Amino acid sequence: MLLSSIDHELRCRMLNSNLINKKKMNISKDKIQIVLLFLPGLLFFALFTLYPIYKLFIMSFFEYQIGSKGNALFVGFENYISVFTDGVSQYAITNTFIYGLITVPSQIILGLLVAVLINSMSKGQVGFRIVYYLPVITSWVIVSVLFKYIFQNEGYLNYVIVNIWEITDLPVKWLETRISSLLVLSIIGTWKGIGWSMTVFIAALTSVPKELYDSAKVDGCNALNRFFYITLPSIKNTILFSMVMLTIGAFNTFTPVKLITNGKPLHQTEFILTWMYKNAFEFRNMGYSAALSFLVAILVSAITITQFKLLGKK
Amino acid sequence: MSRRINSYIVTLILSVGAITMMTPMLYLISYSLRSNGAIYQFPPTLFPKLSEITFENYEYVLSDNLGLFTYFKNSIVVGVITMILIALMASALAYVLSRFDFMGKNILFSLIIATMVIPGLGLIVPQYQIAVKLNLVNTLMGLIPVYTAWMLPFSTFMMKGFVDNLPKELDEAAHIDGASTLHVYFKIILPLMKPAVAAVSIFNFLASWEEYGWAQTVISSEHLRTIPIYIAGFFGRNNFTQFGYIFAISFLSLIPIIIVFISFQKYFITGLTAGGIKG
Amino acid sequence: MKKHANGILAIIMCMLLVTVMVGCGNEKASDDTESVSNGNGENVELDTKAEETDTKAEEADTKAEEPEEVKLVFWHHYNEQSNENKVLMDVLIPEFEKENPSVKVEAVSHDWADLHNKALVAATANNLPDVIRVDSAWIPEFVDAGMLQSIDQEYTDFNEVKDGILEGPMDTAKVAGHYYGLGLNTNTKIMFYNTKLLKDSGVDLPKTLDEFFMAATELSSNDNGQQIWGYGEPALSGWNVLPLIWSNGGEILNSDNTMASGYLDSEQNIELLKQLVTLKEENAMTGFNSGDIPMTDGFAQGRYAMIIDGPWKYAELKGGHAEFTDYAATTMPAGKGGSIQVLGGEDISISINANSDYAWKFVKFMTSEFAQVEMGKVGQIPVSKKALENPEITAIEDFTVFLEAIKTSRARPAIADWSEVDQQINDAFTAALLGVKSPADALTEAAKMIDDILDKK
Repeated sequence: MLLSSIDHELRCRMLNSNLINKKKMNISKDKIQIVLLFLPGLLFFALFTLYPIYKLFIMSFFEYQIGSKGNALFVGFENYISVFTDGVSQYAITNTFIYGLITVPSQIILGLLVAVLINSMSKGQVGFRIVYYLPVITSWVIVSVLFKYIFQNEGYLNYVIVNIWEITDLPVKWLETRISSLLVLSIIGTWKGIGWSMTVFIAALTSVPKELYDSAKVDGCNALNRFFYITLPSIKNTILFSMVMLTIGAFNTFTPVKLITNGKPLHQTEFILTWMYKNAFEFRNMGYSAALSFLVAILVSAITITQFKLLGKK
Repeated sequence: MSRRINSYIVTLILSVGAITMMTPMLYLISYSLRSNGAIYQFPPTLFPKLSEITFENYEYVLSDNLGLFTYFKNSIVVGVITMILIALMASALAYVLSRFDFMGKNILFSLIIATMVIPGLGLIVPQYQIAVKLNLVNTLMGLIPVYTAWMLPFSTFMMKGFVDNLPKELDEAAHIDGASTLHVYFKIILPLMKPAVAAVSIFNFLASWEEYGWAQTVISSEHLRTIPIYIAGFFGRNNFTQFGYIFAISFLSLIPIIIVFISFQKYFITGLTAGGIKG
Repeated sequence: MKKHANGILAIIMCMLLVTVMVGCGNEKASDDTESVSNGNGENVELDTKAEETDTKAEEADTKAEEPEEVKLVFWHHYNEQSNENKVLMDVLIPEFEKENPSVKVEAVSHDWADLHNKALVAATANNLPDVIRVDSAWIPEFVDAGMLQSIDQEYTDFNEVKDGILEGPMDTAKVAGHYYGLGLNTNTKIMFYNTKLLKDSGVDLPKTLDEFFMAATELSSNDNGQQIWGYGEPALSGWNVLPLIWSNGGEILNSDNTMASGYLDSEQNIELLKQLVTLKEENAMTGFNSGDIPMTDGFAQGRYAMIIDGPWKYAELKGGHAEFTDYAATTMPAGKGGSIQVLGGEDISISINANSDYAWKFVKFMTSEFAQVEMGKVGQIPVSKKALENPEITAIEDFTVFLEAIKTSRARPAIADWSEVDQQINDAFTAALLGVKSPADALTEAAKMIDDILDKK
């Protein structure tokens, strides 16, 4: 008995050392292959993303007017200072931030709610999934045009409110003040995004092991408790992922604002991207836009890192 | 019994929500079935009178001399190639980032993710200059690299998580049998990643299908237009905008995406499940 | 340790590759100047002395060989679905190609704002098309960006061609004594009014500004919550308010275009703005807010009694509201300064990356009597003197009032920073009309901001 176990030991050891030898040999061949796998993706990324970002960064220190001459006047941090001191960028950043503050949690909560409900159904899941996903795949341009017609002073919503339900006499000016415009834009943003987070959550929910639920039921846990004590913790990382992606998306909002209010009245509904666009293409102030991009990038990174810290791994 | 009531309530809530989701779409379909001037009517009506319904918008946009099919073809070509390129590159990147340790790996990964926060608008000028130098302007090939680079971080992020969840023993077992890294990747890991790849591909196809800003900047020839550019051409600044046509085309352009979504969505679910999301 | 090297190696190789590719790209550009120039995707060597637009054009000229077939790229913003585009594609271009068999014209339609942005972006890589239809408001900006050829210096028969075109429109293409395009079509704004509303409220057609403001108030009403505004204005930019300012005898800048203080915030302008504020408060004027009824729809539905707009209004009304016919048009009411409108219109320019000879041929063709008359028939007011005398044009009723108004129209100031200045004017008027600032404050502060903007250059 002893001999065979020693024998076994020896054989294992030999096998291991063989393995280690083989590994060492494969590593040198592997080096090239790894690089091969790595390279194409990295190359695309470097050429079309990193390099332009680097150029944009350089641009932010110049007063660069787009055009043929490519004249660029070095101005150091002046562009960055302008962003802080000019009144509009403050509106832009605040508006975008508020928009994010409303739409991101809304999309997550509503998306999760819908996902849970759809998941609990035994039939007809696919149909509902498609319907809720439809807004996601409709272009922003169409969505903006449609909603503008709904929320105009003499649009569909006011028509219903004033003429059909007769709640008030005067049409509500949804798009004429900062607060109501932000509200309308947030509604649109949330409406359009629920389907996305819903899909993400449906996926996550189906991966929660059934045993957890079953054992909880056995222990007498009711549905609500099961949700809060089992479901939520299990999909914590999904929530984090959605939060990060949705936040980045919110800060990149452009089309609906441009088409619905375009910053009116008096730049009070400007968003970061619409203000950037105006500066880059109407005032031809590329340097200012570049500086604004990077300041916003820093802001969004800070928010994202905070989200990671709050919701990150236990 | 209570189960049944519960499921009725659930269905009810979902249906109410679904109607809210659908209403703007109904608006779209409704106006696409009416003549162009109908949208300017007051009072606005959601459902057209039966006498108003006409298919003239669809007939017009589908007529041969408009070349709608060319533009569909362009968008599909760009979408599919982008989708495939990202599938290959992001999965490879994700695999390497997940399985191998090297100095600067975390920095690299963070860098890839961090670039997502830069608004794409500012990058148009440098990207355009590169495209000109590489002679990619006014070609469909000019769209693909930028779209690929744009969606790469998100796709890599998502797929890395998926690979993280695949047991390392699979790799090691293969290595013991003498397989090279490439072999492991192509023959073992990649097939297992199919769900994640499908999931990410839907998003990438959609993103490329809808993208307007870069497409408008790069494409100048009429026969190379993509659908968003074509739709934009219907918005008149000083001519009145023919919304009937716009809505008709928009509705038609939803169809390919819905087809893609339906066919991929079974993978879609499983894919996202094991993606970076579970952790 | 070897594993670490892999990663660093990969990153370094990538960076090297990128640098090499970008560097190689540069060489490619300089090689390309030898080959056939074809105006599309072609990289012209960047002359470091960018100010010498004529030397640059000359270089492009001498290096251009005459190959079998030349492609001419023309960017414009005739709407894709419009009749103007149909005329361009089906009548004009085939005619031009018939006259010049070795040339193929590729005309690309864009949205107005997109064309502006795209031209600017293309310029950064010296990849402009041969010919561009430029909104006259963009000329100073494009010239400042060095994108357009100075035609009077390039082509010997320029003066001949120039004489055949109306002076006003030609001047929209003039910057610092040089011409950077030919006038292509012109337009201005006239007053459209609802004949039925005027008759029903017994208001006479206003001929002076004072009458205009009174009429606006009298035409406004609110029956059963249905508000009717006497005057609708879609925005408060220069294009919208300058006619009122100028007709009232005011100015916005000094004659040098270097200062706004003392001009924008003059007594007359403050008075004018106060008038407008009163109109707004009495619900006699609106249209510039995000939620307001769009001009054409509002006008056709009888919600706006008077609007001021360009020749496209006819097409819009016929297209979207064919049943509405109770309207007519007349020239702007005259104020202390007369009846002065804003001169709009488009010019046709040749870019610095162009295949000069053929581009010039095309530009001349587009301003020839034939092309101008054809375009005139679909609503583009011609600038060619011969075309304006052509019986087919004189027969067009819709043009009559416009041609009258054009005689007393003024172009907007030709400054490169017009967009920024315009934004200040817009903000000032909006602030006053929304009651955020008093007219005097709004204009004075705006004038100071504009001074800063103009000082910077």
